[in-house]
Amino acid sequence: MDQLPAMTSAMPPSNDPVIAPASTACYHCGEQVPAGADFTITIGGELRPMCCPGCRAVAELIATNGLENFYQQRTAYNQRPQKPADSPGGRYRVYDDPELAAGFTRADTQDKVTASLLLGDMTCAACTWLIEQTMGRLEGVYSARVNLQQQRLDICFDPARLPLSEIFARVDALGYRPRPFQASSQRQQMHDEYRSQLRRLAVAGLGMMQVGMFAIALHAGDIQGMEGEYQGLLRWVSLAVASFVVLFSSRPFFITAWRHLRQGALVMDLPVALAIGLAWLASAWATFTGSGQVYFDSVVMFTFFLLLGRFLEQRVRQRHALSWFNAESTLPDAVLIRRQGQWLTRPRTELQKGDLVLVKAGETIPADAVLAAGNSAVREDTFNGEHLPRTVAAGDMVYAGTVNVEAALQARVVGSYRDSRLAALQRSVEQAQGEKPRLAKLADRVASWFVAGVLLITGATALAWSQIAPQEALWISLSVLVISCPCALALATPAALTSAANALRRAGVIVRGENALESLARASHLIFDKTGTLTTGTLRISAVDMLAGGTRQDYLAIAAALQQHSNHPVSRAFGDITPAGTWEQVAYRVGAGVEGTGTDGRYRIGSEQFCRQWAPALPAPPDARRYWIALCRDTTPLAWIGLDDQLRPEAAAVIDAARRAGLMVELLTGDSSAQGALLARELNIEQVKTGLQPEEKMAHVRTLQQQGNVVTMVGDGLNDAPVLSLADASFAVAGATDLARTQANFVIVGGDLRCVTDTWRKARQCRRIILENFAWALGYNTCAIPLAALGHVPPWAAAIGMSLSSLLVVANSLRLNSKPRN
Amino acid sequence: MESLYLLIPIALLFCAIAIKLLLWAIDSGQYDDLDKEAWKILADDEPAGNDSAPPQQDNEGRQQ
Repeated sequence: MDQLPAMTSAMPPSNDPVIAPASTACYHCGEQVPAGADFTITIGGELRPMCCPGCRAVAELIATNGLENFYQQRTAYNQRPQKPADSPGGRYRVYDDPELAAGFTRADTQDKVTASLLLGDMTCAACTWLIEQTMGRLEGVYSARVNLQQQRLDICFDPARLPLSEIFARVDALGYRPRPFQASSQRQQMHDEYRSQLRRLAVAGLGMMQVGMFAIALHAGDIQGMEGEYQGLLRWVSLAVASFVVLFSSRPFFITAWRHLRQGALVMDLPVALAIGLAWLASAWATFTGSGQVYFDSVVMFTFFLLLGRFLEQRVRQRHALSWFNAESTLPDAVLIRRQGQWLTRPRTELQKGDLVLVKAGETIPADAVLAAGNSAVREDTFNGEHLPRTVAAGDMVYAGTVNVEAALQARVVGSYRDSRLAALQRSVEQAQGEKPRLAKLADRVASWFVAGVLLITGATALAWSQIAPQEALWISLSVLVISCPCALALATPAALTSAANALRRAGVIVRGENALESLARASHLIFDKTGTLTTGTLRISAVDMLAGGTRQDYLAIAAALQQHSNHPVSRAFGDITPAGTWEQVAYRVGAGVEGTGTDGRYRIGSEQFCRQWAPALPAPPDARRYWIALCRDTTPLAWIGLDDQLRPEAAAVIDAARRAGLMVELLTGDSSAQGALLARELNIEQVKTGLQPEEKMAHVRTLQQQGNVVTMVGDGLNDAPVLSLADASFAVAGATDLARTQANFVIVGGDLRCVTDTWRKARQCRRIILENFAWALGYNTCAIPLAALGHVPPWAAAIGMSLSSLLVVANSLRLNSKPRN
Repeated sequence: MESLYLLIPIALLFCAIAIKLLLWAIDSGQYDDLDKEAWKILADDEPAGNDSAPPQQDNEGRQQ
């Protein structure tokens, strides 16, 4: 009951709206609160602004559950909740079907079931707390555990007391998007990889402590003198521990080095494997013969630091790489199929060619099908990136993965998922990834020279000393090898990449993908997509052409009142206008518009033909630049309302900055209207190609790459996924569909295009730091190797030098941690 | 100094136990989510000002 006051205060006041200043950010999602919107709510004793009813509902739920602390604890804004198409409970009811639920639940006993859900839009660790707290206190839940890294919720509950659909609905109400967690072999493999890396790291760490302890005793013995018996004992024990560590923890270095060597490639792992292997061999030999020096501590420490560096790098990379590209997962799990004269809810996997399916408004079409009955419009942004739907009638083809926006449809399935257009798109994404030109990693290119150099010098040293003093030759050549141990060199790249990725994450850019930062630093071309990338991708009212007396505000209020009854995406543009008037007999005409009776006559709003039926005097729409809808009262045309996809405010500045930095900026768009060219002129982009199919976009990028250019692509939408995966480096703007995000190397979470140039700058800086690291590591080796070759470097000096040089490299890399923009 | 013959094996035994325990902890999934656990120790288990009252259950009706 205590939320009632909060609710009334949150109701939009009808006459005198308190207009929030334009720069106010939504307390929940951080997006700008639209002017005139008033969705405030009291959280933690203070009135907080909200940008939309969705955010308000979520915030209210959090507040009334006493979880306001969440807002103090979180480290990132939440994602703006999507407007549910219908009641969330109804949408998830299909998961109560035991057959469908079997894919992601496990029944421990009759009344104890564990379900795994994949959660979309989790932004920080505080989200896990919020979800665990809310779910854990539900009646019938035994335990709820969220894994942030896997974005996964494991919930153990009693299906008799709490249906699965209710769990989905609860998570949805918190503003996260739940989906069944489907185990995939890739995901499993990554998980196993993570654990085995951690195991190796743990063994190397503990081994390092042990061997280090014995090494101190041995070094002390060297200085103070030590009986040969005990020296032998310590050496033997060190040998045992170090051998275990080398066998258990260093194995991947040997495997990678050997695999690449067989293919004739010299990679960074080769000098690493050589250093570890030879230093271990030499020390083992020294232990057996009771002569020379042992380097077990160096071997183990080197292994540990390298594993640590790689583990951290891998963790940053894997953090957000979990939603694998799987177009099929966007399709609904349950469909309504006509069987024996009845509509039955069945799992989608049961669909067969010739089945009749019912797709309600707002649902995703489950398979490629031919319309049997019903008029509607389908949004095909999956394939063409455009947000305005295509009107369809009986006999038309509709495609799996597109969204039915207006009215219920009956369609006859024409083929399985494998034959669908969506599956073809997925295949082209996979193919594009395979085609992507591989830019050799900087580290590997340095490594090949390094290996050759070190082997040459060691060989020369051994040869020279075998002439001068044969008994010293082995030990001196070994000390050359140990001192040239490429520890700093091997750490140079991962340390820098990890710290750059951390800085970018704090600035709202998620970094994924192997060489993305290196490729981006070398980019020569920056290619933008139009809809949803340079523009916001949502329609806004940008012009009202008055055709009769009256005020703009009145007409817009009337239009808003009528548009409330429409499912068409256009109606969202009217969402922040307060509707006016009392209306009767409001009817929505699919593919045409809305009509209704007001106090002073009958009104129609919609397409040109629709309004002209009543008002023949309606003039032609003012221009072709915008999307126009007409408003008329009886036979009087009242207004043309022009809608426009708004350019992102920062777009011009970003393109300007990129051009000044020497990048070639291009615009590729699937939109064939004049808008693309106009937009390009406005933004001073010289290279424009409009009306491109995804294949043509790919062909263009491929041509550029063949000319030796390094292409960076900025896009959104699934239709861009193939071209994003083909480009050398790619950005996806969030708000973009999940699928496109997984294809991009960088995901801009806040939707701020300035992140593109910031990331580029960071990438350049990162490259510079890596080069500095290499310069230092190589410089150190160049100075130290001659000394070692002359026999002047004792082992302890070599060990200290090695550690210091690694520390310096790490410290230098940490300079990348600063935020890209202040 | 003879005690080394006893002490070193004991040290190694402890080390082996530590490794065994750590590997067990990793395999049982305790290190699967390092970010969350690091944050979690700072968060309250029970939200302040809401001791035992069950959460309000009538909220999703207002979602749309």
